[in-house]
Amino acid sequence: MKKRGLGVGCMFYGIGFGFSRQDISAATIEICEDGSVIVRSGEVDYGQGSDTIFCQMVGEELGIPYDSIQLITADTFTTPNAGPTTASRVTYVTGNAMVKAARAVKETMQSVAEDILGEGDLVFMDGEIRSEYPDKRISFRDLAKTCHARGVQIVETAWQDITTKDVDPETGQGDAYATYGWASQLAEVEVDTETGRVEVLRIIAAHDVGKAINPSNVEGQIEGGVLQGMGYALTEEIVQEGGYLKTGSLGDYMMPTSMDTPRIDSHIVEVADPDGPYGAKGVGEPALIPTAPAILNAICDALDIRVTELPANPENIKRLILEKGKEEEAS
Amino acid sequence: MQNYQFHGPRTVGEALNILSERGDGCRIIAGGTDLIPALRNEDILPDSVLNILEIDELTGISEEGDTIRIGPTTTFTEIIQSQVIKRSLPLLVEAASSVGGPTIRNRGTIGGNICNGSPAADVLPAVVALDGELELQSKALGTRIIPAAEAVEAPYQTRFNRDELLTGILIKKLPSETRYAFEKLASRNAMARAYMNISIVLKLDEKGAFSDLRIVPGTLEAVARRMSAAEKILMGRQPEDSLVEEAADAFVGDLAGVWIPDYKLPVARSVFKRVLKRALNGSGVE
Repeated sequence: MKKRGLGVGCMFYGIGFGFSRQDISAATIEICEDGSVIVRSGEVDYGQGSDTIFCQMVGEELGIPYDSIQLITADTFTTPNAGPTTASRVTYVTGNAMVKAARAVKETMQSVAEDILGEGDLVFMDGEIRSEYPDKRISFRDLAKTCHARGVQIVETAWQDITTKDVDPETGQGDAYATYGWASQLAEVEVDTETGRVEVLRIIAAHDVGKAINPSNVEGQIEGGVLQGMGYALTEEIVQEGGYLKTGSLGDYMMPTSMDTPRIDSHIVEVADPDGPYGAKGVGEPALIPTAPAILNAICDALDIRVTELPANPENIKRLILEKGKEEEAS
Repeated sequence: MQNYQFHGPRTVGEALNILSERGDGCRIIAGGTDLIPALRNEDILPDSVLNILEIDELTGISEEGDTIRIGPTTTFTEIIQSQVIKRSLPLLVEAASSVGGPTIRNRGTIGGNICNGSPAADVLPAVVALDGELELQSKALGTRIIPAAEAVEAPYQTRFNRDELLTGILIKKLPSETRYAFEKLASRNAMARAYMNISIVLKLDEKGAFSDLRIVPGTLEAVARRMSAAEKILMGRQPEDSLVEEAADAFVGDLAGVWIPDYKLPVARSVFKRVLKRALNGSGVE
């Protein structure tokens, strides 16, 4: 028989290291004589898309296309230390360093532009610095050239520190993290009671990300996280025998494949964080945290069986179903 | 890192010469989806490897009267896409479709699946259920034909002589109205080793009684074979519920040496009934 169930998982998660652990990041922005922009930061993009949003942020501040920015990252020889890509911190910490550095460069460039144009209230957009008069504007490139010619410094490094206070050592009370991500996910599953196999039919994932700098990227993060959470819930397992790893390859360690991917509905919730860049905060780890609880709750809804050991693979689910059958027979 | 001599003959004749000279330490590669991992893990230590993928006469699907001949280096993808197989041996399409993922199916071959002798093979049990035969050639014995059911002696060990090469898989087209079903149970939907698979081929007479029935599970036992106890109960009788339950008991009772029996035995009973039902409800080949 196939039984369906619904389950919800909710979470909040501290962004950054928290608990008074040092949490700093840096970015350097250099405007070259030809108007090209070089951004340097030690932050590594290992697939989550931070390179893209850094360029978006710097492009947003300087009014230039994001794909015109040259980014040099994760090179200890040339980039300032930005700390690691962990703790769902990168958008929040390094994003702020990017915005700060871009604003510092912009401020200098703006004062030079005001001097050239003889106007205030200038706007940086579409590769130009514009005043309210159409004839009083200068291209970003010409402004950069002038700055260089005048010997004005248009290289800036910004430093962002989100190290928090520790909690009270006696009571454990306090605000341990700089900010928090919030999320709820709903899972719909179908359990084959004969084989113990759980099929995830659908995941609905709502994540408060403060502000989605790149909504496609955020959806990608959520979808990837959901699949990781699904693997954690249903199939992934580290097996050792006599101290030897028996699941040392992706042929033995069962991650979900594209064929196992359910429909995933991502809902981006934007409650701006007062200290985040444009209100943004992290979503990397939050994306996978509520998934397993949601799936296990859905299994419980379907079978009236509480799974307390992972993975909820066919063998374990079938065992629980058989045990429940025996208990009911006995009573 | 292993050192071995690599042979790449272009004809069956050349391959047989090499096998007759180096039979013992020689392993045949016919796609490599099983052999390459085994070499990497040093599960096998051959002194030579014989690649048969360059031998044109060993690949492809052809009709010879009422028999379909499948070359051993025909890939799973080629089997799935073949109109001939789709029409006359659709069970084979289902079994081949369950193998790995697209990349494995593009590379892996039916001959490799049979000769590797893995208890977890997906296609070999289907070939046994289809009463397939294997054409073997060697310099010593010439050509001989054996039932596919006799191919594997023990896990990863065939009954072929060391100098013999599988040169064709021969399967009779299914008579019209023959019904079939294949099901594989695994922990995920692709790239998974199965907990079990079951192939069933059957025919009902005009009274609705079983006039032909072949039940072959894979991954449950060390070597795929027909489950004669369950077949005997059903043959000549109509598939009534009580009889199917009896056959399911016989099916499970007949199984020996099953891994993780606490899980697999009760589940195999259910999957057997499910596959049988699917076969009975199917429309059958034309």
